[in-house]
Amino acid sequence: MAEFVLEMTNIYKSFSENCVLSDVNLSLQKGEIRALIGENGAGKSTLMNILGGVLNADSGSLFIAGEEVLICNPSAAKDLGIAFIHQELTLVNDLTVSENLFLGSEIRKKSGLLNINEMCRQSREVLKRLQVDLEPKTMVRSLDASYKQIVEIAKAIRSNARIIIMDEPTTALSNVEIENLFKVMRTLKDQGVSIIFISHKLQEVLTICDTYSILKDGVLVASGNFEEDKLTEAEMARLMVNVKRQEAFRSDDKEIGEIILEVEDYSLRKHFSNIDFSVRRGEILGFTGLLGDGRSELFQSIFGALKGATGTIRLNGKALNIRSTKDALASGIGYVPRNRKENGIIKDLSITQNLTITALTNFKHKLLLNHKREKQACDLHKNNLRIKMKNGKELITCLSGGNQQKVILGRWLEADPAILILDNPTQGVDVGAKQDIYSIIFELSMRGVSIIVLSNEANEVIRLCDRIHVMYHGSIAGELTHENASEESIMLLATGAGECATRNIA
Amino acid sequence: MKKLKDLNYRESWNNIWANYSVGVIFFFIFTLSIVVKGKHFLTLNNIINILRNNSIIGIIALGMTFIIASGGIDLSVGSQLVATGTIIILILESLSGLVPPLVCIALALLGGLTMGISLGFVNGLLITQGRIPPFIVTLGTMNVFRSVSQHFMRGGGFTTRNTDYIGIANYKLFGVIPLPILYFVALTVIMHVVSKHTRFGRFVYATGSNEKATKLSGINVNRVKLFTYALMGFLVALAAIVETSRMGSINPTSSANYYEMDAIAAAVIGGASMSGGKGLIVGTFFGVLTIGLINNMMTLVGVPPFLVSAMKGTIIVLAVLLQKKETEQ
Repeated sequence: MAEFVLEMTNIYKSFSENCVLSDVNLSLQKGEIRALIGENGAGKSTLMNILGGVLNADSGSLFIAGEEVLICNPSAAKDLGIAFIHQELTLVNDLTVSENLFLGSEIRKKSGLLNINEMCRQSREVLKRLQVDLEPKTMVRSLDASYKQIVEIAKAIRSNARIIIMDEPTTALSNVEIENLFKVMRTLKDQGVSIIFISHKLQEVLTICDTYSILKDGVLVASGNFEEDKLTEAEMARLMVNVKRQEAFRSDDKEIGEIILEVEDYSLRKHFSNIDFSVRRGEILGFTGLLGDGRSELFQSIFGALKGATGTIRLNGKALNIRSTKDALASGIGYVPRNRKENGIIKDLSITQNLTITALTNFKHKLLLNHKREKQACDLHKNNLRIKMKNGKELITCLSGGNQQKVILGRWLEADPAILILDNPTQGVDVGAKQDIYSIIFELSMRGVSIIVLSNEANEVIRLCDRIHVMYHGSIAGELTHENASEESIMLLATGAGECATRNIA
Repeated sequence: MKKLKDLNYRESWNNIWANYSVGVIFFFIFTLSIVVKGKHFLTLNNIINILRNNSIIGIIALGMTFIIASGGIDLSVGSQLVATGTIIILILESLSGLVPPLVCIALALLGGLTMGISLGFVNGLLITQGRIPPFIVTLGTMNVFRSVSQHFMRGGGFTTRNTDYIGIANYKLFGVIPLPILYFVALTVIMHVVSKHTRFGRFVYATGSNEKATKLSGINVNRVKLFTYALMGFLVALAAIVETSRMGSINPTSSANYYEMDAIAAAVIGGASMSGGKGLIVGTFFGVLTIGLINNMMTLVGVPPFLVSAMKGTIIVLAVLLQKKETEQ
């Protein structure tokens, strides 16, 4: 019988009258990687916040290494060897790796000055334990996303964490970076550290995790061992999803019209060069590649949010000069940005206000806004986009990630653009909401809206798009159609292994 | 079950507190004033005095609420007022005798409003086109505006003898209510409507809350900010008209000192957040009255004159401390 490093039994928690966790059990053995999965709002974060000492359970018990404990605040959790790595990293960009590792627990000499050498030595030891080659004096700012995650893990290990909670660590990582992270996770597992891994990417879960716990509406619906149960991705999704939802299907018999947007010889120093492409009416065009391939910058330039790009853009055959996002909106181009929290939601405004902000002119009567019409629009989108919410007057921050994304999508639907650019539209969105967003995309394209989807998930663009452009180092490395695209062919182009990829920028 | 009820109760209380804390603070101090100094405090004369004395700061604080809600700050409003007031008095005096007094007043008002809006535009342009933080820009213009005005006035003050102009702020409606109070109340109502019921108002709060997201929603955030500072300049010009009319003079050295601080304090007590996106006009209205009450009470109670500012400062910080405690939960 293996020893349990953690047992949570009969956990209950409710906010006001909403019961978010009811009778949840979770256990963790030494050196086990357990997947904690479920839709947004299923209670994963609440459960982990209870373990991390951020929230207190209404009832239930917690055992660490067989002893019952009370975790009433985050520092108590830390003392018990529990480390919580949040989705938003807590590293200080302007400090070095070792300064970050020792932040708040610096080693001092007798004189009271910092003992930098000792801290660097210990940092090197920790990094060696994780088998990563990283110099402690590197600035964190200069590290790529996966190494930042690894520094965060190193920080946990340095403070002797035995249980590490990782909340969607891979959302901002490219495939290569994810492999890096997984390597470190396996090393830790071999050293007897236990990990709770929260992710929406079921494929990853199957790759890295030994066991699983699935939450649905605050109830543990399944848990077990992947090897014994032979659980597949589809079965997992079925267990997680609330209502039985129809999978969104692309329809092949839709009409693709004339060329609507043409981009020629479009360049922006340091980001992309000599981009040529065109979109037709009702077409779904995909752009994919590795992180930092310049596709976000490309479309932010087209949308007028980035300045300085050269080249020609033609809309319906006429040359277009977009100098601001307002010009883009006026020309019928919409853009749903990536990183919802930074670029999408306006946190002090209500759900309704977030929804109507782009097309606010439509809600104006003479000088004043018509609040009633705004409310009607909100109710309409609530139904059409299946937004789970109580009252449009609530702040948008009350919604879960998937529902926030739908509101931001609705913001642009209200503006009725002819071309809609979606940058990572399903980032941090649960399985159910993902299907909803896919259906909306298909429906829009049936209505003749041209849609450009940017995504770093190959299977997403394959599933959605009629044509796919793969980018590598700021250039279009190749074009694939829905029929001949595969994850392998995309990967080949995205990593620069394809034959066209030689013309990258200097 | 009992626990659940407690939680609900606390949540709704928090909600009320978050939205109306300034009102609660105001009525607390108001009641305290009645209890402590009821006889002297609760006279029509004294109440009208408080309102009149704070209407100038009040008009500025309304604009400041928009500035802070848009994520900015304007330290130059006192200097803007001095510069605008200087122009007004200069026009009044140089044209007096040449044109009829009423034409003279019209030209002076026009000159003042143009000046105010222009100064606001200068701030706005430096912030949006020069990409300099508002704090730095207005710290600079604060010095420039006042210093240039002092130079024009050769360090001294200037008086007007135009009695019609002086009537703008000194006439009393029904012989009781001084006009500045009406200006302040009317502007409060107008600014409240602008903040809640116009596109511009919505954009101001959106810009302050998340500038990047607002820009990516197809909104020209630079124009929003530019208009916000110009609106501030316009309101400062109105305040300058009231100030010069009431005093019949302007002195670039001694007029409008620390107005920016009082205006910021009123907005912040009213619930405006220095990080932008938050701040109600109604809150600022009560913020202005709260500061006015505090000033008045300290005079009535007889706090030593040099300690008045210390008391005021303490109460401002305490008021905001109380709000923060509850809203952050």
